[in-house]
Amino acid sequence: MIPAIGLLVGVLLGLILHPTVPLWLQPYLPIAVVAALDAVFGAFRSVLDGIFNDRIFVISFLSNVLVAALIVFLGDQLGVGSQMSTGVVVVLTMRIFANVAAIRRHLLKA
Amino acid sequence: MGMHSAPRPARTSAEARFRLIRSLKPAMSRTQIMITVLFVVLGFATMAAIRGNPASTLLANARQSDLVSLLDDLAQREARLQSEISRLETARETLLGGDQYQALNEAKRRATALGKLAGTEPVSGSGITIAISGNLTASTLLDAIQELRDAGATAIQISDSNLDVRVVANSWFGDSENGVTVSGTALEVPITITAVGDQSVLTPAMKIPGGLEDTVGSGGGTVTITPTDDATVSAVVPLPTS
Repeated sequence: MIPAIGLLVGVLLGLILHPTVPLWLQPYLPIAVVAALDAVFGAFRSVLDGIFNDRIFVISFLSNVLVAALIVFLGDQLGVGSQMSTGVVVVLTMRIFANVAAIRRHLLKA
Repeated sequence: MGMHSAPRPARTSAEARFRLIRSLKPAMSRTQIMITVLFVVLGFATMAAIRGNPASTLLANARQSDLVSLLDDLAQREARLQSEISRLETARETLLGGDQYQALNEAKRRATALGKLAGTEPVSGSGITIAISGNLTASTLLDAIQELRDAGATAIQISDSNLDVRVVANSWFGDSENGVTVSGTALEVPITITAVGDQSVLTPAMKIPGGLEDTVGSGGGTVTITPTDDATVSAVVPLPTS
């Protein structure tokens, strides 16, 4: 419950403060957000699977974000930045869909 | 939260819902606080990413070749618009600042030019006259007229010994007893075609193989082409009323 409120607070803060993303962060932020979303949906799934562990969640959240940003950074250095971000987003989105499907099966048995 | 729930998947959807709701219950622990902080950051970052994504990224993501062609398009368009601006400004200044009759003169000049094309104005200038005698059919004459038009004749008239007929866009040709009919006027062979235009183009156009000279010549007639600096097309058609 508290994390949900935290999410709301973050969204409101973003709406109020109109943050400008620094230029060096711009390629990585969207990827990081998608990676974090993947971790969140994975957490919901593991709650329903009965294997949720908040320590693992925190670590997976942070490592997801870091690894995703790192891969895109590496792609940028190799000159395939946009293709790499596309690839990362595709993989993460597939995982999100798989997690959502598992959650749906748990909740609705369908 | 892990204490009561066995590490196994939820068996029923009711159990799943129960687990979900229980996971949302507030519980204070260090990791809960950390998760909350992460969620605050996630929400903030999401909004930042959404806001920091204006429409200009459309250009940022475009390939270099696309950008170059886009720039070229814009430059070309600008040049076109600039030339149109200067053209219109010149016209405006001529109309405003010049002689007060200049606009009228311009309009008259255009009326004369259009009159020559429409056949309502007499035209004279350098051109050719073609005298045709012998057997002449309407289709041969039509071919000759088309050939003259293709060769850039600005005005054409067809005359016999006492009648002149101007050839305009809606002229028609028909065969008659001892000659041809042009737009309803019967002309008797021999006839003379007067065409105003470039002599050096018109003359060869009449002499090409299979052209007027060939056709009339093979039918036993004669064609005489005379270049002249004073070709006069005097016949006019009445101005259409509508």
